[in-house]
Amino acid sequence: MNKFTLAAVAAVMAGTGSAQATNIEFWYGNTGQVETAIKAQCDAFNASQKEHHVNCVGQGSYEVSMQKAIAAYRAKNHPVLIQFFDAGTLDLMLSDAVEPVQDLMPDVKWEQYIAGARAYYETSKGKLFAQPYNSSTLLFYTNKTELEKAGITETPTTWEGVIEAARKLKAAGHACPFVTDGDTWRVLEQFSARHGLPIATKHNGYDGLDAEYVINSTFAAKHLANLVEWRKEGLVRLAADTKAGNYTAAFNAGECAMMEQSSGSYAAAAKAFDGKYELTVTLAPMYKGYERHNTFVGGASIYVMKGHDKVEIEAAKAFLDFLRKPEQQMFFTANTGYVPVTTDVLDVIAKSDEANSPKYATAKVGVESMNQPATADTRGIRLGFYVQFREVFMEETQKAFAGQQTMQVALDNTKKRGDQLLRRFEQTYKGKQLP
Amino acid sequence: MSSESSLFSHRWLPALLLAPMLLLIALFFYVPVFQAFYWSFFLEQPFGGGSEFVGLENFQRVLSDAEFWAATGRTVIFMLTASSLAVVVPLMLAIAADRKIGMSYPARNILVWPKGIAGASIGVVFAFIFNPFVGLMGPLNALFPGLWNPGIDGTDAFITLVAAHVWSGIPFNFVILLAGLRSIPPTMYQAAAMDGAGPWRRIFDVQLPLIMPQLFLTFVLEFTESITSVFALIDTITGGGPGGSTTLLVYKIYVDGFRGFDLSGASTQTAILMVFVLILAACQFYFLGRRINYER
Repeated sequence: MNKFTLAAVAAVMAGTGSAQATNIEFWYGNTGQVETAIKAQCDAFNASQKEHHVNCVGQGSYEVSMQKAIAAYRAKNHPVLIQFFDAGTLDLMLSDAVEPVQDLMPDVKWEQYIAGARAYYETSKGKLFAQPYNSSTLLFYTNKTELEKAGITETPTTWEGVIEAARKLKAAGHACPFVTDGDTWRVLEQFSARHGLPIATKHNGYDGLDAEYVINSTFAAKHLANLVEWRKEGLVRLAADTKAGNYTAAFNAGECAMMEQSSGSYAAAAKAFDGKYELTVTLAPMYKGYERHNTFVGGASIYVMKGHDKVEIEAAKAFLDFLRKPEQQMFFTANTGYVPVTTDVLDVIAKSDEANSPKYATAKVGVESMNQPATADTRGIRLGFYVQFREVFMEETQKAFAGQQTMQVALDNTKKRGDQLLRRFEQTYKGKQLP
Repeated sequence: MSSESSLFSHRWLPALLLAPMLLLIALFFYVPVFQAFYWSFFLEQPFGGGSEFVGLENFQRVLSDAEFWAATGRTVIFMLTASSLAVVVPLMLAIAADRKIGMSYPARNILVWPKGIAGASIGVVFAFIFNPFVGLMGPLNALFPGLWNPGIDGTDAFITLVAAHVWSGIPFNFVILLAGLRSIPPTMYQAAAMDGAGPWRRIFDVQLPLIMPQLFLTFVLEFTESITSVFALIDTITGGGPGGSTTLLVYKIYVDGFRGFDLSGASTQTAILMVFVLILAACQFYFLGRRINYER
């Protein structure tokens, strides 16, 4: 019997044991260590009270979870709660399939959520649509042991510094100084945000569905062109250049010395490094001469879907209340590396004896990263068919890394194809207003 | 004919026995196909919040999209290379296994085994075999760095895909072709041999003409299959990359529809792909099928 069968059996038995309990479903997309933590939270919730029972169903990935939610919603067989990732925010806002959490639970102190986490999920009028759950942001990971071996004692904070360190590492015989997968979230979105650069007009779509991409004409284009040059020089490696074939695995195994990655990867990296290397996690590097702005919140949030009766909504609220509790957020942070995003939890951590414990390392630096000065362009991304745009960006830039076209041509193509997606999205949701 | 229809005494019994199967086909094939054609004329919101009739606009857009044609081009190249090889390689194996050479008996058995492996599993195995560092090409890569890397080089990724497809196609085509070869009466070879025909001449003048029906069957199935069944391989080996170099039409449809939530665009491409496959099969029957002599 595998885990799922066991879980199913357990769920059925729990259901028969407490006949009055309201059963609701919660769909999530994470796997691995994060999934273990999510399941533990579900079990804790179910054990903590008798009134409600939440059945947490792992779907394997955010995309699969969303596909199934779309099909289930059309068949009126959808879960009450669904976790969904950053890039689909606009799709859900316009879907008419979800109830804004701030409408459902007006009494919650939503202002406790730090601005960086709120902005991504709230309407232009400041109403929170979803409850942030596994929040992450981009951080800079280094293998301190390897850096010190090459004579670098300070963790670089600028791109100039990163490249200088990479040259030293290369000179010391290191095959993979800096590794990236060239993912849109890492190399474009978070880069643009912290350098205060727009991704699209209309403040990344917050002011209307008629936005247009500008990625080919901002400083991000220069950075991406730099990545191509640095790869030729042997300073930057792509995931496919590594033996591990996966950049996080390559970093965790010690093959690569530096990477930009979500805070959600911290727990796995720390575990892999344990006893072998020393890990540092800091703010992602900036180019000299640019003022640092906030990074976007990444990860996912939980939405309440429409079309359920009152008792089910009550159960959903109870579960969301449970997840917001400081001790639950702290448990989740300690076990995954995701960042707590409410001020009360941050206060509790700061006052505890473990404030400087490595298990809260990402909380401190992650929140610091998201709390940098904001502009209208660093609130988030509110662009239609954005998941498809990410695919387009990856496809075009991979061609640039392979030398089939220059990075500028790649970005010009990306903008052109991206704008077509935006126009079609606008037409699909004709007559709908951004909330 | 009377003997066939008299197998069932009751008039409705055949229909009744067929019903479950027809119902399944209707439910999982005709209904979705109808839905895809229907959506291809609309701009459909993923959660069903509303849809707008746009006539042929979706088709106009897809047919003027360079990416669609690039994916179609890759699909045709894959169809021609992979499915030809997926028939020719099993044909050579079948001819060899048909002859009384050493190991031909165990080979007839062993070559069928890959049939039991799912496409996705084959994908995982081949991704490993063609890994640039630990796979077959690892030693060559160590000598000439950068020679082989399917993660960076689109051509390498495409070759990996073709190899995996051909390998997975061996068992079925092998069985069909071997059965065809085994059914040729030995007296034909004996007569040809007595007339002075060598082994090669016997292959080209006796064996190949006589297994034309089997060859035709495998070609028709391969050509149409290669377009759709490659999905599992792409999904596990390359994910459509690098740089979209292995994004065949069937994979593009999946990415647009299920990852990008663009139901209308994916439906339109599905409709076009289906029409294309139907035309292809019709052409094969029209131009090739009529020339095949099924009588011996």
